[in-house]
Amino acid sequence: MAVPTTKSKGIFTAGVLANRPACADHFALLLRLAEFPPTQPGQFVNIRCGRVEPILKPTEFEWRPGSLPPPHQPETVGRQPLLRRPISLAGRRDLDDGVELEIIHRVVGVGTAWLAGLKAGEPVDILGPLGQGFRPVDRPLAAVVGGGSGIPPMLYLAEALAAAGKKVVAFAGARSGASLPLTIGAHDLPSQAGWPTLCTAEFAARGAATVITTDDGSLGFPGLVSQALQGWIERSSVAQGELAVYACGPNPMMQAVAGLCLPAGIPCQLSLERHMACGLGACQGCVCKVKDDSPQGWKYKLVCKDGPVFDVGEICW
Amino acid sequence: MIDLSVDIAGVRLANPLVTASGTCGYADEYADLLDLRQLGGFFTKSITQKPRQGNEYPRIVETRAGMLNAIGLANIGLEAFVRDKAPLLRQLGIPVFVNVAGVQIEDYVAVAGRLDELDAVRGIELNISCPNVKEGGIQFGTDATQVHKIVSAVRAVCRKNVLVVKLSPNVTDITVTARAAVEAGADALSMINTFTAMAIDIESRRPILANRTGGLSGPAIRPIAVYMVHRVYTQVAKAAGVPIIGMGGIQFAHDAIEFLLAGATGLAVGTALFIDPGGVLGIRDGIADYLRRHGHTSIKEIIGTLQT
Repeated sequence: MAVPTTKSKGIFTAGVLANRPACADHFALLLRLAEFPPTQPGQFVNIRCGRVEPILKPTEFEWRPGSLPPPHQPETVGRQPLLRRPISLAGRRDLDDGVELEIIHRVVGVGTAWLAGLKAGEPVDILGPLGQGFRPVDRPLAAVVGGGSGIPPMLYLAEALAAAGKKVVAFAGARSGASLPLTIGAHDLPSQAGWPTLCTAEFAARGAATVITTDDGSLGFPGLVSQALQGWIERSSVAQGELAVYACGPNPMMQAVAGLCLPAGIPCQLSLERHMACGLGACQGCVCKVKDDSPQGWKYKLVCKDGPVFDVGEICW
Repeated sequence: MIDLSVDIAGVRLANPLVTASGTCGYADEYADLLDLRQLGGFFTKSITQKPRQGNEYPRIVETRAGMLNAIGLANIGLEAFVRDKAPLLRQLGIPVFVNVAGVQIEDYVAVAGRLDELDAVRGIELNISCPNVKEGGIQFGTDATQVHKIVSAVRAVCRKNVLVVKLSPNVTDITVTARAAVEAGADALSMINTFTAMAIDIESRRPILANRTGGLSGPAIRPIAVYMVHRVYTQVAKAAGVPIIGMGGIQFAHDAIEFLLAGATGLAVGTALFIDPGGVLGIRDGIADYLRRHGHTSIKEIIGTLQT
């Protein structure tokens, strides 16, 4: 084992081991670090999507009196994002001499496009681990529910839950089959009826059968992932006292999952997404409303520091 | 040995680098990432008399080479600050300045008066320039008569604490408000706060921020900030002997040195802390390198030495 770092979080320079497209719009980035603090599924890292070395070190060039600044001034370097990009961990492997982290992200803008262009051997500056992850509930059966870019953290969670002896069923929804960051057809094909099968290599490797749903019906169950979850709970012989639900995805999906679990009394944790600057609780940008006993009935919590994972009962929609 | 220490109205900073208010909370958020004791001073997030929950989400949006924020002065309030945060700040071992905001002059006076009783606090920074709440002080900061009035009132209750006045750039001529602050007794000026700005979601045709507008910070504003520091230094502060704490997009040593040459004595790092908390120490070391390379032994030798 690598010598564990004593800090709970920090800035680390990781090396790219591999970077491959995971589907039409996701990339899977495998990083290697000499050390990294302990992590929980649901935690995230804040990635600097730009060159690791300070672009302008005063010692690197001479300021000649009267000359214009050199062309590698930060302002002239083209479009690099200023802020870091927060992305959940999709997996972690501890080795004898280091740590591997997997990050699967959807390419949506300049930051994630920069990440997608990384090549093996290149350095990446990551800040983390950040936030509060999932807190496994004492229920023998776990449904992990991911929508779009909310699927990757469910891989890490499924692994941890399986290792803790839970039976895991995965629900993965995407707009279409081409946008699903999973390898289809490992053992079985996805069920159009919304039944769990060993149809994705990634979840099957973690012992989990998967229900695939797509908005356009191009793969698996045609419809929303929350509808598939509801159908499965109703049709299967799942004793509700045995089930816990963990979810990450777009807000409407999370709201639907919450609407399913809250009235039924099913323990449920949701990982929220917000725009954030620091990821540390300093900038106060990533607020969400949670219930409290004040006269107005709610207060703000920070998704970066108090979350991203919240209990379903806390969240004010 | 290069002497990086500077003097802000009698408060010695071991180096000119301080945190810009609102980007470093109350010092606990960066514990694992930056040894704050290596900085020259610490400026807290704004404190108001009563706690404020702040604006609705979305509160921040990134723009090219900058970001807009509209946090809305979310803070724990004076009493919680005094009870929970001040004892921790006292242990920091560097001068602590508390940023003070309010709605009415009486609010500012009440908070500043209470802070004057705390050993943990060396100075206050008067926030009369927050663009993000309707009553967030900017109505004081953009009118010279109001600046004079509020600075005079707060001056009267700052017996021990140094009084720093944070200027708004959202004015036609910043030397006018700077002069009003100095004439009313400001010990130092910090400049600049953010620019009122807007980003639009072109699909929904609505402002992205829930507050509609926000304050622009980051590298995008640095050249304007440098210019404003230069103007205030040459036209107001130098003759009055009032130090300037310069800020606005400082990310690298080069940026910091621009502010020093333009006339800033202190240097606040804000948005860059979000990206690279430890980078502020690189800025400090970069300034020392620059001084060494140019044959200086003290940072004071270059402050305000812009050749024009």
